[in-house]
Amino acid sequence: MRKPFVVSIALFGLAVALGAQQNPTGALAFLQRERTASIPTGNTPLISEADALRPVPRLPDGRVDLTGPWVGGGSNADIEREGGLKPGELPLLPWARKLRDSRLEQNEPYTICLPMSVPRVNPFPWKFGMSYTSRGLTHIYVLHELGDSGAHRVIYMDGRKHPEDLLPTWWGHSIGWFEGDTLVVDTVGYNDKFWFDSRGTPHTEQLHTIERWTRINYGTLVNDFTLDDPGAYSRPVQLKFTARHVRPDVDLMEFICNEDNQYGIAGGFVPAQADR
Amino acid sequence: MRTTLGVLLAVVLLVAPVAAHHGFDTEYDASKKVKLEGVVKQVSWTNPHMRVYIDVTDASGKVTTWNMEMTSPNSVQRQGWGRTSLLPGEKVIFEGYGGKVVESRGSLARIAKAEAPDKPLFIQGGPESAAQGYPQP
Repeated sequence: MRKPFVVSIALFGLAVALGAQQNPTGALAFLQRERTASIPTGNTPLISEADALRPVPRLPDGRVDLTGPWVGGGSNADIEREGGLKPGELPLLPWARKLRDSRLEQNEPYTICLPMSVPRVNPFPWKFGMSYTSRGLTHIYVLHELGDSGAHRVIYMDGRKHPEDLLPTWWGHSIGWFEGDTLVVDTVGYNDKFWFDSRGTPHTEQLHTIERWTRINYGTLVNDFTLDDPGAYSRPVQLKFTARHVRPDVDLMEFICNEDNQYGIAGGFVPAQADR
Repeated sequence: MRTTLGVLLAVVLLVAPVAAHHGFDTEYDASKKVKLEGVVKQVSWTNPHMRVYIDVTDASGKVTTWNMEMTSPNSVQRQGWGRTSLLPGEKVIFEGYGGKVVESRGSLARIAKAEAPDKPLFIQGGPESAAQGYPQP
């Protein structure tokens, strides 16, 4: 009895170890990815469980403080699974499904130091930079240590509308407002160059996203995410992600992605957006 | 039993992905596990990923410089590394996985100074892994 048990443990360990690779296969590998990828935290230390349960902090104006830094709260390896759907439930149009299945992970735009965009995250910290002026909260800047490749995303909080005839861009045009304690962010004007995940899930320039960010306690931020893209999906779809607050002594650090990116040399390939 | 579990969990940590900037198996081969001794030639604190260049001399006297990839400098600093943690000229024992095409371009899994092989400076998964629910190696 003892020996078979030890062998079983060994097989489980090896399966989980293999599952830790980026493209694992099999049920155990799926479980491993589920544990790590739904809230990808990598080596970024998180706030303790006890601190996470503390009350939501507020700013002097009474508004909920969404600053963070956070880790997680979006997709990374597979938006379908990480967003809470079952395999096959993401309503991709046939051409989009075919494109996703044909994409090679090595060609992720992110690997050549381009932004991940919405709703993607990686296991590194990011924050909502809530920018107050004499007119109050006019802008929120989304700062991501690695995911933005050194740039930043702007959410206009000053009441403006989306412009007409937007030139498609990496983050599109985001306007935001509060509904109670929930920050709502409405974004259009995306380009189609980024992937939702390393699996290659695509979208078109018709993409319209609505993020509803709610800090449910000190350490937890929920992103109720509406993905609407009639160019690539048969209907709007509702996803849900969760971010965790990082340890208080951890803040965002400098990251200059293009400094010395040697990606592909060891593997003998040149990463490219070959499918575009 | 406790030892068996400990060894297996250590294996799990050692095979963890190289970093979040890209996947492990697009570039590296999990079957090309290496454990080598060498002399540090250069510690490169560069983005998107740090690299340690290590000169390894084989039995015939031929020297190969291994280019071992780590995570981002930010991530490595959060694991406790600083400028003087590892310096050129220091003898090290390291483990990793060779590149799919260029074998001497590897993914670093573990590195320790030769005089303290049981005190690794770096393990994928990291000393902070306990905070994420991972067991310590």
